[in-house]
Amino acid sequence: MSNIIEIKKLRKVYGDGVELVALDDVDLTIEEGEVLAIVGPSGSGKSTLLNMIGLLDTPSGGEIWLKGQNITKASPKERARLRNKELGFIFQYHHLLPEFTAVENVMMPLLIAGMDKKEARHRAITLLEEVGLGDRLNNRPNQLSGGQNQRVAVARALAGHPSIVIGDEPTGNLDSKSSDMIYELLRKLNREMNQTFILVTHDMDMAEKTDRILRLVDGRIVCEMRREGDEFVSRDICRAD
Amino acid sequence: MFELSIAERHILGNPKMVLFTVLSVALAVGVIVVLIGLTEGYKQNLIDNTIENSPHVTVDPKLDEDYVYLYRTLSSIARERPEVLAASPRLVGRAAAKYKDNVEGVTFIGADPVQEDILLRVREDMVWGDYYDLRFKRYAAVVGDKLAENLELKRGDDFRLFRQDLTIQVKAVGIIDTGTGLDSTLVYLPLETAQILLGDGDVVTEMGLRLSDIYAAPAVAADLNERTRYKAESWQEKSRDILDQLETQQVYSVIFYILIAIIAGFGIANTMIMIITRRTKEIGILMAMGADRISIMKIFVLESVILGPPSALLGGGLAYVAAKFIGTIEVPAEMYMTDRMTVILELDTFLYVALFALIVNFLAGIYPAYKASRLDPVEAIATE
Repeated sequence: MSNIIEIKKLRKVYGDGVELVALDDVDLTIEEGEVLAIVGPSGSGKSTLLNMIGLLDTPSGGEIWLKGQNITKASPKERARLRNKELGFIFQYHHLLPEFTAVENVMMPLLIAGMDKKEARHRAITLLEEVGLGDRLNNRPNQLSGGQNQRVAVARALAGHPSIVIGDEPTGNLDSKSSDMIYELLRKLNREMNQTFILVTHDMDMAEKTDRILRLVDGRIVCEMRREGDEFVSRDICRAD
Repeated sequence: MFELSIAERHILGNPKMVLFTVLSVALAVGVIVVLIGLTEGYKQNLIDNTIENSPHVTVDPKLDEDYVYLYRTLSSIARERPEVLAASPRLVGRAAAKYKDNVEGVTFIGADPVQEDILLRVREDMVWGDYYDLRFKRYAAVVGDKLAENLELKRGDDFRLFRQDLTIQVKAVGIIDTGTGLDSTLVYLPLETAQILLGDGDVVTEMGLRLSDIYAAPAVAADLNERTRYKAESWQEKSRDILDQLETQQVYSVIFYILIAIIAGFGIANTMIMIITRRTKEIGILMAMGADRISIMKIFVLESVILGPPSALLGGGLAYVAAKFIGTIEVPAEMYMTDRMTVILELDTFLYVALFALIVNFLAGIYPAYKASRLDPVEAIATE
């Protein structure tokens, strides 16, 4: 498997005056098709790392390579293009556009990419059927349950065939049943389409279903565990927090 | 174009806010259209009055004299010009009119009815009676309708005119409504009667010429100035002050319109900023989905511009209704030369103002849209 993301000595420092180090020389390689969970206490830098990988934020130092391309200093326009083509986002709250129906929300990234409306609609309907919402196409977010909305959000994240799907607490706002359903959905898509999933989560049950768990504390990766069969094996000695 | 559909949904999603924004721009459009219409109406009245209700060329006495003495000679010199349709020697003066216990100050015009009628189309303005009666009746007068009303003068009544120590008694044989401020002071007399009231012999104060071609007035005036020592002046020269004043007034009007537009623009900008503040998270999500800065900017500029046409239409409608209403308001003719306010609404005005509204909407949308496009996606998504 080839590396889809390579992160070298990534730093992010916030604030002028009192400096807050959010990421402290993080090195990380993510393989294509991998399902990765990032865990850690609040303020450990999980979301910051995710935003860097998602090209929403820019690092203070270090490099990010996406599919062999150094995108650390890409222009805002190029970053927007890459977000559209290569990345799909699932947020803790579904963050659907409230005035648009389920199918229109899923169409949005495709329309942004410049796809023909009819074609986009067709693809959106297929995706919504896949996530089990084929009968909810024309409902607006306020007419759907939390779990349903999150499934629409998953469909939206996958619409443009992104190579990487990023989830920031994608099930954080759902009950365990909906949460399991969403995770199973992601896993199924991962197997079918070999998409890479990077999930930040507080939910250890979910983390333990992934291929690899990274534990972040104070902006550093303190523990990395890889699945081997049914068990997780820590690659380095996991430091105690 | 996904930007347009987002803009559309945003607008439909905020009907109240949008309604008030549209109303504010519509009001601005309406006010500007009505004001332009009023100015146009005023200007048109002024020019009509200048050309139709005053002589095309006026000949005044020589520099150091009070009267035109040799007016018959002057008249025949003037008539040598083929453009001259009428040369009316006129004696214009001030006097007091008394009827029963009512006294009013009047402006009397003594003239030859035939010439004066060609000069100023006097007979067209008669409410009753015939101006030509003054040709045969020496002590007869045609009185302005407002003056007759103020004096409580009725048809056929005799009234007195005083000027210094001279008094004459005349019979009201006609009432005239010129539609100008003159109506409350005007008394037409036969020329000889006016000369008696003046008591200075066979003189006139001016000569009025009517021409077949109004634009020949400066040439005719120049010709008369060359051939006589009287002071001839064309209507263009005589009205220069007014015409200049109109121009100046128009400059002020434009400044005023721009100020109104700026105020309306701030209203739009304010709404846009509110919409954007409410939508910050959504902007972040759109950015995460790959919408670039130009797209974000497009969305909000479009939103602002979309509000332009309905504002312009509504404003146009408001202006039309207001113009109809204003047209029914009576105004003192002494001040406005006419007893009704005239609002001239031309399609051109609507089109220009509509275009203007679009530009205002566009400009007002740019800054908020720019700010939206510069949002940091991470912060935007994190907004609650």
